Amino acid sequence: MDELLEQFLIEGRELVLQGQADLIILLGDPGNAGAIDSAFRAIHTLKGSVGIFDMAPAERVLHAAETLLESARKAPAGISPGDVPRLVASLDQVDRWIDAMEASGSLGSGADAIAARLLDQQAETSPRAEALDPDPCSPDWAITLADREAAALANATGALVAFRYAPDSDAFFRGDDPLALIATVPGLIALAVLPAHGAWPDLATIDPFSCGMVIEGVAAAPLAALQPIFRLVPDQVAFHALEARGAPVREHSAPSSGATFLRVDAARLDALADGVGELAVAANAFSDIAHRAERIDPALALVIRAAQGDLDRAVGVVHRAVSAVRLVPLGPALARLPRLVREIAVNLGKQVAFTLSGDQIEVDKQIADGLFEPLLHLVRNALDHGIEAPETRAASGKSSEGALSLRISREGDDVLVTLADDGAGIDPTRIKALAVTRGLIDAEAAAQLADGAALRLIFAPGFSTAAQISDVSGRGVGMDAVQSAVDRLRGRIDIESQVGLGTSFRLRLPANALTTRLLVIDVGRDRYAVPFDQIAETARVEAERLVPLGTGIACVLRDRTVPVLSLAELLGGEESGLDPARLLVTRASGEPVALRVDHFSHRIDAMVRAPTGLLAGVPSIAGTALLGDGGILLVLNLPELVA
Amino acid sequence: MSIEVSGTVISIVGHAAVEDAEPLLAALHEDSSRTVDLHQAVRLHTALVRLLLALRPRIVGVPTDPFFATYLLPLLDRDRGSA
Repeated sequence: MDELLEQFLIEGRELVLQGQADLIILLGDPGNAGAIDSAFRAIHTLKGSVGIFDMAPAERVLHAAETLLESARKAPAGISPGDVPRLVASLDQVDRWIDAMEASGSLGSGADAIAARLLDQQAETSPRAEALDPDPCSPDWAITLADREAAALANATGALVAFRYAPDSDAFFRGDDPLALIATVPGLIALAVLPAHGAWPDLATIDPFSCGMVIEGVAAAPLAALQPIFRLVPDQVAFHALEARGAPVREHSAPSSGATFLRVDAARLDALADGVGELAVAANAFSDIAHRAERIDPALALVIRAAQGDLDRAVGVVHRAVSAVRLVPLGPALARLPRLVREIAVNLGKQVAFTLSGDQIEVDKQIADGLFEPLLHLVRNALDHGIEAPETRAASGKSSEGALSLRISREGDDVLVTLADDGAGIDPTRIKALAVTRGLIDAEAAAQLADGAALRLIFAPGFSTAAQISDVSGRGVGMDAVQSAVDRLRGRIDIESQVGLGTSFRLRLPANALTTRLLVIDVGRDRYAVPFDQIAETARVEAERLVPLGTGIACVLRDRTVPVLSLAELLGGEESGLDPARLLVTRASGEPVALRVDHFSHRIDAMVRAPTGLLAGVPSIAGTALLGDGGILLVLNLPELVA
Repeated sequence: MSIEVSGTVISIVGHAAVEDAEPLLAALHEDSSRTVDLHQAVRLHTALVRLLLALRPRIVGVPTDPFFATYLLPLLDRDRGSA
């Protein structure tokens, strides 16, 4: 899209919004000079912007509005109350024209006629709109609606119009989209979509093409702005003026709808997400409270549970909203990938066609930030070990140019990232043989291993060794780095490979990641949590297998001697020496180190807050996690602790 | 066609028109416990919104349409589980 137009779409809508906000103030207070000035400025600026584009009818309508406001500025009584609804209608029309510019680049046919009609109305001095009194004999639907939407009405100011739109049951057949119509209602502050006959039909009886609904709502807009929207369905709609119960009109209280863009520091969003996570955890505490109350007072427990349900839903809404704000398209994070593929391929003397699709899919910022590294590793691996040299490919009847594709797609709450090559594939027999040679498994276990499981061995720590480290995919870290990076993102990798045909790696990652998976452990009388991504494995061994070695203690795990440290002692306590011993294996500088703990408790998903205050200076503390019962767990940073 | 079914997930993609109501209903008929994924949806025709309101499948994601996110999603949330 033309950059100028793009800018106009944003600014134009903001100006419309500003103008409408001022007009709403003027409806209640026609003499408000500040609002008249502000509306005049907004409309004047808008007229200038509109002039740049092929929008002559809009320019005429805005010019008339500007003239009217100009004379109102000079009049001691301000604006004539009858003029405001027509100004609102004019701005609404300009807003629709801005939409049309976005959709088709033009105002569409009929714009001249619409402009002429608006100008005719503006030329008249007497109010046209039917006057609606907020009378005491409200229709039943309006009373019910006012009760239902009391909360929304309490905060509203100015003129309010309630509407009830009951589309015919064959509305869909006629091509109507009733909610699309509602979406154009200005200043909508409450909306309900109700079944037409008391209850919604069930799965067995529902007719997908029958409309059968009633749409009720309240708009902080004059009737004159609403009537044109429903002009094609006048027999299906009813209006009723409502009294705003809220505070007096404040100057420049802008309606909440409309597109205003903010640039926000990512750190603030993180803080907001943190807060929401803690809110969710705090809300969890109610579940426990309700449980306890049940024994004392079942009726009270019921009330608590109902309140908990409401709270949970509200937290859910906020959580989704915050998650949505944190979503970013993957594109920018992967922008360097095509260039890197070309460079690596040239280095390796290979010919590769790389395709990338689905990079417009949005994921949590954390995932977008964390995905590049493991993906680059997989790409290097595919170019190095997957795709064969051009002459090898030609000899086996393949095109000399290899194909590498990266496809990203959404599946429910997950994002799937599939990297597929049409290279040599991975031979499970060879992988098993290598794993045995490298001491990862013994020959008997290898023989029993299914092919699919054998492929996973390439992610085992220690599988990639110097023998296969080449310039490109080596660098001292094996595919286990990919595995741990994906684990950190709480994802999963699957491999499919056919010898001679190619390999595909499928990463399944959560699209929204705001919590960390923790293992809760007991040490002495204390509880701690350890991030799962720092745990290589857990083991339970007889205490007699812990043998003194030099100045310390060691244990043989998987045919490898691993130093054993007491977590209790590291934390300044005393080792309880339980038998069998529970060991938590982590890695310090790439080497496994086992930590002796008393118990492994349970797993939790929780927000980990960066340590603050006194804890901030302790590198072995990764942060704190809030529990459902309100308790706080210290989250240990194992590599720092054993370093 | 804006309805894509994959296992237990029904994805609504892009602008869903009135004719997408039937495949959505069919997918829920097959398995009413399926989740409806709106992450890739832009806008939903009233007919689809009605099915979601009436049948209350589990919903994930928010369509691009700000009207949906602001006004319709809360209705789907409020209704969920209250019957």
